[in-house]
Amino acid sequence: MIDVACPDHAKLDLLRELFASATHDASAAMCCWTNSVVTLTLDEICEIPLQNVCVDLNLGDEPVTMVVFNLDGGANGAMIVAFTEQSARRLAASLLETEVRQGPAWTDLEQSALTETGNILGCAYVNAITRLIDHQIVPSPPHFVVDYGASVLQQSLLGQAGATDKVLIGRTRFQHKDAELNWLLLFIPTTALRTVMERG
Amino acid sequence: MIHSPANDLSKEISVGMGQAVVTREPARLTAILGSCVAIALYAPRLRLGMLGHVVLPNCNGSSIASPAKYADTAVPHMLAVMQAHGARPGELIAKLAGGACLFGGGQFMDIGQSNARVAVAALEAAHVRIAARDVAGTMGRRICFDLATGGLTVASPGKPSQTI
Repeated sequence: MIDVACPDHAKLDLLRELFASATHDASAAMCCWTNSVVTLTLDEICEIPLQNVCVDLNLGDEPVTMVVFNLDGGANGAMIVAFTEQSARRLAASLLETEVRQGPAWTDLEQSALTETGNILGCAYVNAITRLIDHQIVPSPPHFVVDYGASVLQQSLLGQAGATDKVLIGRTRFQHKDAELNWLLLFIPTTALRTVMERG
Repeated sequence: MIHSPANDLSKEISVGMGQAVVTREPARLTAILGSCVAIALYAPRLRLGMLGHVVLPNCNGSSIASPAKYADTAVPHMLAVMQAHGARPGELIAKLAGGACLFGGGQFMDIGQSNARVAVAALEAAHVRIAARDVAGTMGRRICFDLATGGLTVASPGKPSQTI
């Protein structure tokens, strides 16, 4: 992953510490929710030129299963929890204690299980950041979306795209007992939220 | 950013957010769209085409280092580039895709619609014929602009692709 020229290393270091703390809290929440050892690792926080963001994040050309929510509270943003279809189906089956079911459709229960997973992850993440920056961030109700990852990412980036041609994204990966899961969490602040976060 | 891949005509060229790429057949220009709108301009006589990947509707006096980023600056910019490559204004045709709203809530849920509306207005103001459009809706789009034919193929999850 490209970590493009960072004009202020100190600010990015501060953001990395912030995200790392949030990742820790979200990891604990996921362990409880999945009754398993699912850990989160802050992969990176980086500034990417807008024109490169979809390629650099390697979201692929095929639809992915996502839980998306807006971050409200004045200084806004978005979070995306993305799964490959197979990993999403395995997670849903595990949570519902059923056999893994194949698609293309998702039952209401499966959608609910995945949406709640995203909700728990997102709230743990956001609560940690809120506590650390002393600024309230309120996650919206989550949306279950099956679509191109790049398409969803575009809408999420609008809060930065108007002010800059380089966007800031925090990317977190997931592991289950040392094996990488095909899950991804993207934290996409607006420019205003980024400013608040950089103040610490 | 403008890219004239004279040595790369056989390849598919991905056009990123805020980019505009001009090229000739047999190259194909591709993009994945959500709220963004793709403006495809084609000169059939020359088999010359350009794809602009618009992110926001109006530049509102912002720096225009990336004119293709905004619908209101992308159109005049793309027209100028096409003419610089030999196209005549009256022979150009346009096609549009994108401008969806993929998830509700938030302050940007209408941006897709605005992108499409401003792009259409700018093309009409420039007297460019809009031959086809596949805009709005709630799903992303994966597009491929074929410079050999001028066809714009649009695919969305769960729907068969169509060439407009």
